[in-house]
Amino acid sequence: MSEKQLLQVRKQKRLQVFLFFAAMLALSVWSAISTGFSFSGLFTGTVDSTKFIIFDLFPPDFSYIASLVEPALETIYMSFVAMVIGAIVAAFLAIFASATTAPHPIVQVAVRAFSSLFRNIPVLIWTILLAAAYGLGTLVGTIALIMVSTGALTRAFAEILEEIDMGQVEAVRATGASYGQVLAQGVLPQFLPGFFGWSLYMLEINIRASTIIGMVGGGGLGFVIQTQIKLFQYEQVSMAVLLTLVLVLIMEWITNQIRERII
Amino acid sequence: MTLLQVKGLEKKYPDGTVALKGIDFEVNEGEFIVIIGPSGAGKSTLLRSVNRLVDATNGAVIFKDRDVVKAGTRVLRKIRREIGMIFQGFNLIERASVLNNVLHGRLGYMSDFKGMFYLFNQSQKKTAYELLHRVGLGEQIYKRADELSGGQQQRVGIARALAQKPALMLADEPIASLDPVSSNVIMDYLYNICREEGIACLCNLHQVDVAKKYATRIIGIHAGEKVFDGKPEELTEDIINQIYHNKKKELVANE
Ligand SMILES: Nc1ncnc2c1ncn2[C@@H]1O[C@H](COP(=O)(O)OP(=O)(O)OP(=O)(O)O)[C@@H](O)[C@H]1O
Ligand SMILES: [Mg+2]
Repeated sequence: MSEKQLLQVRKQKRLQVFLFFAAMLALSVWSAISTGFSFSGLFTGTVDSTKFIIFDLFPPDFSYIASLVEPALETIYMSFVAMVIGAIVAAFLAIFASATTAPHPIVQVAVRAFSSLFRNIPVLIWTILLAAAYGLGTLVGTIALIMVSTGALTRAFAEILEEIDMGQVEAVRATGASYGQVLAQGVLPQFLPGFFGWSLYMLEINIRASTIIGMVGGGGLGFVIQTQIKLFQYEQVSMAVLLTLVLVLIMEWITNQIRERII
Repeated sequence: MTLLQVKGLEKKYPDGTVALKGIDFEVNEGEFIVIIGPSGAGKSTLLRSVNRLVDATNGAVIFKDRDVVKAGTRVLRKIRREIGMIFQGFNLIERASVLNNVLHGRLGYMSDFKGMFYLFNQSQKKTAYELLHRVGLGEQIYKRADELSGGQQQRVGIARALAQKPALMLADEPIASLDPVSSNVIMDYLYNICREEGIACLCNLHQVDVAKKYATRIIGIHAGEKVFDGKPEELTEDIINQIYHNKKKELVANE
């Protein structure tokens, strides 16, 4: 490349950077205006919600804990079942969604589109749609979580498969191993750590998500929170929220322990 | 006796790169052939066409009377299990134990099911132990493969290939990622074992001096074509220049 061309390229680069920041600035201003965002609003809002937290939510009603045990267990069941089913289905779909293992590019595109649909429709919307068909309850929440787990894990697993060291796979193939043997001995050992890591992470996400879908009729702790809010039982709400937080933290701790052991 | 015949082998990659432009040669039982040539000449492509890790575009590769290029899945498995391969990057299953990596060499002889579920029998394990002792890794049997040094990993690679009881060994730059001392060790193991067991070997190398030291025959490749095939002592400076810098035209003009 000549000196002149280099200068030209550099100029172009600088222009690109400038345009990028200009566009970002314009976007920020535009979204602030159209959402009615203002710093004073942010401030008064903060004051209001602080007041609400101090006077209405406090103190949490600890006597209420006994009746929260069952919904809490429901939340855990839902999340766990959704994670297990999601992980199994996703592991199967991922074989077709990854460039390295897909039998045909068209299959790959189709499975990717399918999983992206499942993943990108928020779990809340899935619950509302499913509730219309199945009514309220944990079943609906579980199905919604399965859908989103499957979608998210399919993509994650497909990416793991794509990052696999093909040299290792090739070496097994070169020994005269069959297709199944190559998958079991060459691919699986490289896939398993990511498989467990992502599945456990999904479990954490599901626990968090299950509280939200509970509010639209998916059962579990979220359902209790929603019901008590409607009844203005804020001290019981705060107890349920507290329990949710504890649950999430415990889950995170457990999954971290498992992850360290396995991986 | 002829073990392998390569006839008019051509390879064009999907992106249009022509890596091999009609290569012919034969390998006799027990020969130790070193293939040399500049980077990008097509050495790896050639070697990988022999056990069909790469699909040739044209030509034939006859291994013990069976055409590798045309073989169906079952026949290909049977061919591959008699051809061991070691790699520049060792390509061991890193998370598996050293022992399991060697046992992988037996997969081609096992039923699908047994191979998938690690159902190796006692005599297979015994063979694997013996092979590991033979390459000096008796102490490392239960370690994870990625815990070993490069030189040790390559010895596991050799043991894995030997577990196949191969008639032919393919080695694609087996010492390119190793220090000089380990390189010597690996080349000695590879050479001695192949000679003792009567295994023919096709070995890609970058170092001409190493090639001359071990080879019973040297093949020179330049830009997808065979430009030399002869005894190590026939490999003169001129010919080396021709292989690496394509001084061919001048040589022809001088004749
Ligand atoms: N998968 C591939 N797709 C496209 N082109 C390829 C592929 N693999 C190799 N090539 C090309 O084919 C030619 C021969 O490559 P090959 O790897 O066989 O050379 P080599 O002699 O082994 O080189 P080196 O000494 O660097 O290993 C090169 O031009 C390379 O770029
Ligand atoms: Mg190469």
